[in-house]
Amino acid sequence: MTTIERYAAPKSLDEALGILQQGEVTILAGGTDLMPQTRAGRIAFKPTLMNIRDVAGLSGVVLDGDALRIGALTTITEVLDDPLVKEFVPVLAEACDHFASDQIRNAGTIGGNINNASPAGDTLVPLIVLDAEVELASKPNGSVTTRCMPLAEYFTGPGRTRRAAGELLTAVRIPLPKPGHVARFYKFGTRPALDISTISIGIAGVMRDGALSDTRVAFGAVAPTPVRAKQTEAALEGRRLDQSTIEAAANAARDEVNPIDDVRATAWYRKELIHNMTKRMLDHVAQA
Amino acid sequence: MSLKHDIEFALNGVRKRVAVDVTMTALDMLRDVVGLTGTKYGCGEGECGACTIRVDGQTVNACLMFAVACDGHDIVTIEGLAADPKADALREAFVEHGAVQCGFCTPGMVVQAAHILETNPNADAATIKRGLEGNLCRCTGYKKIVDAVESACCGGR
Amino acid sequence: MNAAEKPVIVADSLIGQRIQKKDAPEKAAGKTRYIQDMVVPGMLHAKILRSARVHARILSIDTSAAKALPGVHVVITAADVPDQQPIGVARDHLPLKGERVRSLRDEIAAVAADSEEIAEAALRLIRVEYEDLPIVAGPEDAIKPGAPLIHPAPLDAEGRPKTLPPKTPVAFAGKADNVAMRFDYTHGDLAAAEAESDVVVEDTFQLHYVTHCCMGVSGVIAEFDASGNLLMYSNTQVPFLHKREFAEYLDIDPARVRIIQPPIGGGFGSKLDIYPFEVICIFLARAAKRPVKMVFTREEEFLASPTRQPVLLTLRSGCRKDGTLTFRQVHTLHDNGAYTSWGATTPFVMMQTFSSLYRVPACDYHTTVVYTNNPYAGSFRGYGNLQATFAIEQHMDMLAEKIGMDPLDFRLKNAQDAGEVTGQGMTFKSCGFKECLTTAAERSDYRRKHADNIANRNARGPVKRGIGIASMLHVGGGAKIYPSDGCGTILKLDDFANVTLITGASEIGQGSETVLSQLVCEELGLPISAVTVVNNDTAITPWDVGVHASRTTFIAGNSAIGAARMAKAKILAAAARKHDCDEASLDLRGGFVVKADSGEAVVELARLMRSLHFSDKAELVMTTFYYEPPSVHQDKGFKGDVSAAYAWATQVVEVEVDTDTGIVKMTKVTGTHDVGRVLNRLGLEGQIEGGVVMGQGYALTENLIVENGVTRNPNFRDYKLVTAPEIPEMDISFVESMDGEGPRGAKGVGEAPSICIAAAAANAIYNATGVRIFGLPFTPEAVYRALRGVTSKPHWQAWKPE
Repeated sequence: MTTIERYAAPKSLDEALGILQQGEVTILAGGTDLMPQTRAGRIAFKPTLMNIRDVAGLSGVVLDGDALRIGALTTITEVLDDPLVKEFVPVLAEACDHFASDQIRNAGTIGGNINNASPAGDTLVPLIVLDAEVELASKPNGSVTTRCMPLAEYFTGPGRTRRAAGELLTAVRIPLPKPGHVARFYKFGTRPALDISTISIGIAGVMRDGALSDTRVAFGAVAPTPVRAKQTEAALEGRRLDQSTIEAAANAARDEVNPIDDVRATAWYRKELIHNMTKRMLDHVAQA
Repeated sequence: MSLKHDIEFALNGVRKRVAVDVTMTALDMLRDVVGLTGTKYGCGEGECGACTIRVDGQTVNACLMFAVACDGHDIVTIEGLAADPKADALREAFVEHGAVQCGFCTPGMVVQAAHILETNPNADAATIKRGLEGNLCRCTGYKKIVDAVESACCGGR
Repeated sequence: MNAAEKPVIVADSLIGQRIQKKDAPEKAAGKTRYIQDMVVPGMLHAKILRSARVHARILSIDTSAAKALPGVHVVITAADVPDQQPIGVARDHLPLKGERVRSLRDEIAAVAADSEEIAEAALRLIRVEYEDLPIVAGPEDAIKPGAPLIHPAPLDAEGRPKTLPPKTPVAFAGKADNVAMRFDYTHGDLAAAEAESDVVVEDTFQLHYVTHCCMGVSGVIAEFDASGNLLMYSNTQVPFLHKREFAEYLDIDPARVRIIQPPIGGGFGSKLDIYPFEVICIFLARAAKRPVKMVFTREEEFLASPTRQPVLLTLRSGCRKDGTLTFRQVHTLHDNGAYTSWGATTPFVMMQTFSSLYRVPACDYHTTVVYTNNPYAGSFRGYGNLQATFAIEQHMDMLAEKIGMDPLDFRLKNAQDAGEVTGQGMTFKSCGFKECLTTAAERSDYRRKHADNIANRNARGPVKRGIGIASMLHVGGGAKIYPSDGCGTILKLDDFANVTLITGASEIGQGSETVLSQLVCEELGLPISAVTVVNNDTAITPWDVGVHASRTTFIAGNSAIGAARMAKAKILAAAARKHDCDEASLDLRGGFVVKADSGEAVVELARLMRSLHFSDKAELVMTTFYYEPPSVHQDKGFKGDVSAAYAWATQVVEVEVDTDTGIVKMTKVTGTHDVGRVLNRLGLEGQIEGGVVMGQGYALTENLIVENGVTRNPNFRDYKLVTAPEIPEMDISFVESMDGEGPRGAKGVGEAPSICIAAAAANAIYNATGVRIFGLPFTPEAVYRALRGVTSKPHWQAWKPE
C-alpha cells in the first residue's frame, strides 16, 4: 500500500537536494521505470515522492572542457538527436536508437536509465566503454557539493548503485575520445528497439596500426550489473586485430561472462551470442 | 486514502485543474477523472502505445506518466487531435487506407503518427515503421497503417 | 418529359471496390466507446481473486476482512452461489472454485466495490488456505498410468465414490482418467495404402501456446432490472448462443436475458465461449442489486483468457515414386489445460486438413485431449489448422525431396480440383487451389529462388536466404457445427430511401458492417452511406450463430442479399404500379428506379419511398430473410459436407536466417487466396495482411511460456507480438473462383491468412540452412540450437487408444 506523505516538485537543484537531505525520498524523473515497477510491487514508495522533472538546469548536452556533459534529465530522444553526441560519441546515439520506443525515449531520461541500474539498461554498456563518469550532488551541510565516480564502478546490483540517499545524479560526463577512437555497440534483439536486451556488447578503443589500445569491452545482461570484460580487453589490448586475436578475444568473452537462464534466453545461448557477436563486431572494426 | 495533489495543466488547449492521487497514472486521470476515453489502456507498461498522448509536443505513454507530472504542462489527447483541422488529413488517411479494423489501437496510432509527421514531414516507410514501433496492432498487420501515414506525409508535401 | 429530366443512370458496381469501413471515422477520432469506456450510472467495479497455487485443495476461504472494508458491496465465493452451474464445452468448469483449484488462473472469490482500487484492496484481505496437490505439468504426464487426476470423482463420507444420477456434469461427477475428449477418424485402407508406398516419413511436431492478445482486454457489465431481467454489455462473438447459456446458469427464462455488444477491441475467436468472469460478474450484480463492471488487467488477460491449443502431433505420410500420395496417419495429444473449452474440439478442423487438403486415398486420424494443470485452450483464428498445416506441409516438402521431385510439382500432382468429393465427404464445388499454387509460385519466383538458395547454402557469410511454400484448406461457407448455421436479416427502407440493415452478425472489427452494407447497396442501387447497420442487441437483431468459422460474409451476406432482393421486388412492384409499367422491365441504379434495358430514370427512389410512406395507404418496405447454408452436420465418423464452400490459399514465405544468432527475418510473403470473389478489396486486403502478420507472430515471436503450470511471461515485454518494423513485404493476390453458393460468388477468408505462414517458414528455413525444425516457435535460440544440432527433435511415442 502507498505510504506517501509528501509530494514535492522542486524547481531548483538546491531545493531538490534540500528535500533529499530531509529523509526517505522516491525520485521521479521520466517515470517510465518507476511507474511499472511500483505498480508491480517491485519498488515500494518512500514517504516523500519528489518529481525532479521540472528542476532547472539538469538537462541538455554541453561541451565542458575535455568532456561531454549530459544532464541527468536529458531525455533519450534528446541524446539521440543531439549534434554533439552525434559528433563525438555516435555510439551513444546508436544505443539510444535501440532504446525502447519513441514514446519511452521521449519520456525516459539518461539519468533514469543509469539509476534504474538494470543489467540490461541500453545506455549503460556504451557509456561504460566510453569511460563515462557520473556526477552526484548533495547538500549535507547546507551547501551543495558534488563528486564524480566512474560509471563502471557505480552499479552494485540490479536496481542498486553507490548513490547515497542524500545524493542526486546530476549529469554523466564522457571524456572526449582521442584521435583514432572507435566504438561499437550491439544489442541483441529481434526488433529494432522495443526489446529488453538478451545480451548487449560495447567495444571501444584507439585503433592504431591495426591494433586496439585503451581497449574497453563491456557486456549487458550477462551479470547482475553491466560489466567491464577485463579478460577480453586484455586479449585485445595492443595486439594486431587479426583473425587469431579476434577469435581469442571472442573465446575470452565467452569464458568470462556468467549469465543466467531466464524467460528470454538460456545462459548457454547468451554465452554463444557473446562469442559470436563479439567476433562479428571485431571483424567489422578490423575491416573498417 | 492516498495523498492527493492539485494540478493545473492545458488539456487540448483548455486550462484544467484537478486533484489527483499522487500515484495515479496520467492515463487513469484522463479516462476516469477527466472523462476522456479516447486514450486507451492496453497494457499499463508502455509496451503497446494504446495510451499515447502528447506532452509539450512529445509523445509519451500516458500509462507510464504520473498524473502529477502533468502539472504545468501542455497535454494533447486524441480528442484534441480530432478537433484539430491540421490532423484531418491524417485521420482521413487512416479511413481511406483501411488502417482501422477493431480500432482499439487507432487513437494511439493516430497520435503517434501525427508526431512522426511533425518531427519528420518527409518520413519514408521505414522511418514511419520505426516511429510506430511502440504501438501494437493485432488486426491490421500494420501495412495499411504505414500506408496511411505515408500518404498523409506525401499529401502534406 | 424530355431527356434532360430523365437522365440515364449507369450502373456502378460496388463489388470489388475499395470500400471504406463504416466505423473507421469514429474510431480514428477516438470517439468509439468500447466496453472499457462505458459507464452505467450506479455501477460497481469488480475484481476476481485467482488461485495462488497451480493445483491444490482449498481448505478455507476467509472473506470477513474484505467484506468489512469501506466501499465493498459484495464478496462472493463458491459457498455464496450454491446454484452455480458448470460452464464450458464439457460442463467441467464451475466459475467459482470451492474445493479445488486446478490452475493458476482459477477463480476463488470476487468483489464488487465502489472503485477498482477498493476492489483490489479487498482482494488482498481475503485469506485462502491451500493444501498443495501434485502438478500435472504436461499432456505426456497426464496420460501416464497413475497420473494425478485433475477432475477426480467426489467421495462420500466413507471415502467411496458418490453415487450420482446419470448425465451428471463432469464438474460434479469427475472423471476416472485425465482424458477430456477423443477423436477418431478414418477413410480408406491404411495398411494397403502403406504397402503401396515407396517412401514413408514419420515425424513428431510440437506446437506451442500462443494467445489472442486482443488490444482491448476482456470486460463485461451486468445489470438486472427491477423485474429480474438481465442486461449484459458483452464482447461475445456469439450473443444468441450465450443468451440461452446465461439463462441456464441463472435458471431463468432465456427471454429475460438481453445482450448488447459494444464495439469490440479484437476477437479472433477469443470470445466464443463463456468464461468464469462473465458468470461471476452476473452473480455479483445479482447479489449487489447494482450494475457491475469487470475489466481485466493485461496481466490477467494473459493469465486468464484462452490460448491456442498446444499439440504434440506424430504424422506418418507416404507416397509413390511417381509423386502420388498414398496415406496419412496422425496421432495427436492435445493439452486441454484444466478445463474444456473450444480448443479441445480443434480436431474437427485438423482432420479436414489431413484428409482433404490433398487427395489422399487413406487417412487415419486420432486425437486424445487430456487435462493438465495448465491454462485452458480456446478457439483461435484458424482453429487447429495452423497446427495441422505446420505438420502436413513440412511432410509435403520432405516427401518431394525423398523422391527427387520438385516440391511445387509434387503439390500440384496431389492438389484438389473442383468437383472432388473427399474421403471425409467434403464436396469442392469451387476450388482454386491449383491456381493459388501456380500464381503464388510465379509471383514469388519460387522455383528459381528455391534452387538458388540450396546452391548458396554453403556460401560464405552468416546470413542464409530461404523460400518456402505452404497451402491451406479451410471452411469458407460456414461450418455446420450446430444444428443451425444460419443468420437472419431485417431490412427497412425509410421515407428518404435510407436503409436500416438489422443483422444478427456482429462486427468485431473485421468489417462485416461494411461488406453487408455493400451487398445490400449492390442490390438496391444505393450508396454505402445510405445504410445504417444495427447489429449489437439481441432484443432487436434476428438470430445468428455468431462470428466464427470465417462465416459472416458468406452466411450473413447471403442473408442480407436475400432481404435486399425481397425489398427490391417490393419497390419495383410499387414503382410499376405507380408508373404504369411492367416491374420486370425495371431495375434500381444510382438511387433511381430505372428502365433495366436503357438505364433511363423512371423515378428517384427517395421520391418513390416518400410517396409510399406519406399517403393514407402507406406501404412500407420492410423485409425479413433467413439464410441457412446447404451444408450438413457431420455424422459420428466426422464425415459430411460441413461447409457450403471451401477456401484455399497458398503462401510463399521468404526468410533470412542469421546463423550466428538464429534470428530469422521474414522478408517477404506472397499470398494467393481463393476468395471466391473479391467484395470489398480494401477490407479483404486488411484481413489477409493482418492474418499474415498474426501467422508471422505464431511462427517467429509469440510464445506463452508455461512451466509447471505457471505462465512465465504474462506481458507484452516478453510475449512478443510482431511490431511495425518487423513486418515482411506482402504481395497479396486473389483467385476468383466464383462460388455458386457464395454471396456474389464470395467465400469466407477471415481465418485463412494465418494458417500457412508457420509451415511455409519452416520450409523456408530448411531451404536456407538444410536444417528442419519440428517445433514452434522459431525464436532465435530455438533456431540457433537446431542449427548447432544441440536440440533434441520433438519425440512422442504415438499413444494409440485402445
